[in-house]
Amino acid sequence: MEVKVMQDVLGENDKIAESIHDKLAAHGIFVMNLLGSPGSGKTTLLERTLEKLAKEMKIAVIEGDLFTSKDADRIAKHGAEVIQVNTSGGCHLEAPMIEKALSDIDWQSMDMLVIENVGNLVCPAEFALGEQAKVTVLSITEGNDKPMKYPLIFKESSLAILNKVDLLPYTDFSVEEAVEDITTIHPGASVLSVSARTGEGLDAWLDWLRAQVKKAKEAAR
Amino acid sequence: MCKECGCGQNNGNTRLQFITEGYTEESAKTVEKALLGLPGVMYVHIHWHEGETTIDYNPSKTKMTEIIKVFSDNGLEAGL
Ligand SMILES: Nc1nc2c(ncn2[C@@H]2O[C@H](COP(=O)(O)OP(=O)(O)OP(=O)(O)O)[C@@H](O)[C@H]2O)c(=O)[nH]1
Ligand SMILES: [Mg+2]
Repeated sequence: MEVKVMQDVLGENDKIAESIHDKLAAHGIFVMNLLGSPGSGKTTLLERTLEKLAKEMKIAVIEGDLFTSKDADRIAKHGAEVIQVNTSGGCHLEAPMIEKALSDIDWQSMDMLVIENVGNLVCPAEFALGEQAKVTVLSITEGNDKPMKYPLIFKESSLAILNKVDLLPYTDFSVEEAVEDITTIHPGASVLSVSARTGEGLDAWLDWLRAQVKKAKEAAR
Repeated sequence: MCKECGCGQNNGNTRLQFITEGYTEESAKTVEKALLGLPGVMYVHIHWHEGETTIDYNPSKTKMTEIIKVFSDNGLEAGL
């Protein structure tokens, strides 16, 4: 019996996710679901991103965390409209939470909506939120074994970002091996190396975002 | 699904275990890589000497015929 209920929950989630997707895509808004372990650098990368892109385009951010508004407070300093969603202990965001948050955002005027999911390499990968792309941030201090140990999230993500490359000299992490593993699990996935600390590699990431925003706009025409 | 907390999909993964004869070290690697690239395939382990092959996959995302094709493409027969 329980099994049935859970399948229904996911079916319901997918339906709402699809309606969010269609609604925002019709307005030419690029929606990104930003995933990764706790501490991989999702919020830091977003802060650096906003410093550069907030001048060029209108960006809204939905921050998902179990508790606190710490991440939203950080983002609010960078000129983006931001909403904190607290899951009260829940390990991932679900589409109804996004639908509710959208009713408090002037999303129609946005170029891009970023959803920073709860830090977790497992559960968030299962729940569509209406995004056009999932992006996973993997910090190099997490180790080379992570893509093969957590394959679903990498299969689902069109882009993987290897963050904290400023720390490469202090670790045994191999970027080459990570690229090999990620593209084995997900042929066609893109991989970028960045440091949200030093700004290394940031330009390629910003260009990727600009291209997605352009693509979303063109698709809506 | 996340087995820890029970969230997510239930019609999750199935584990296939079988013996495939005729692997070389190289073809085992090629097969492993090709299988891992399929949509629902999460885990592949091959002991090429014994031919012992383990595949964890989601049948709703990848059909058995697609898995078998990976073997035939490499001149192997999956002894299911
Ligand atoms: N050295 C280094 N540290 C970084 C880098 N990016 C982030 N950090 C640090 O890593 C820590 C965690 O960063 P956050 O951005 O909060 O990580 P997060 O992924 O948003 O974490 P959660 O929201 O809790 O899941 C902070 O202390 C950051 O300063 C980087 O490129 N290099
Ligand atoms: Mg964060």
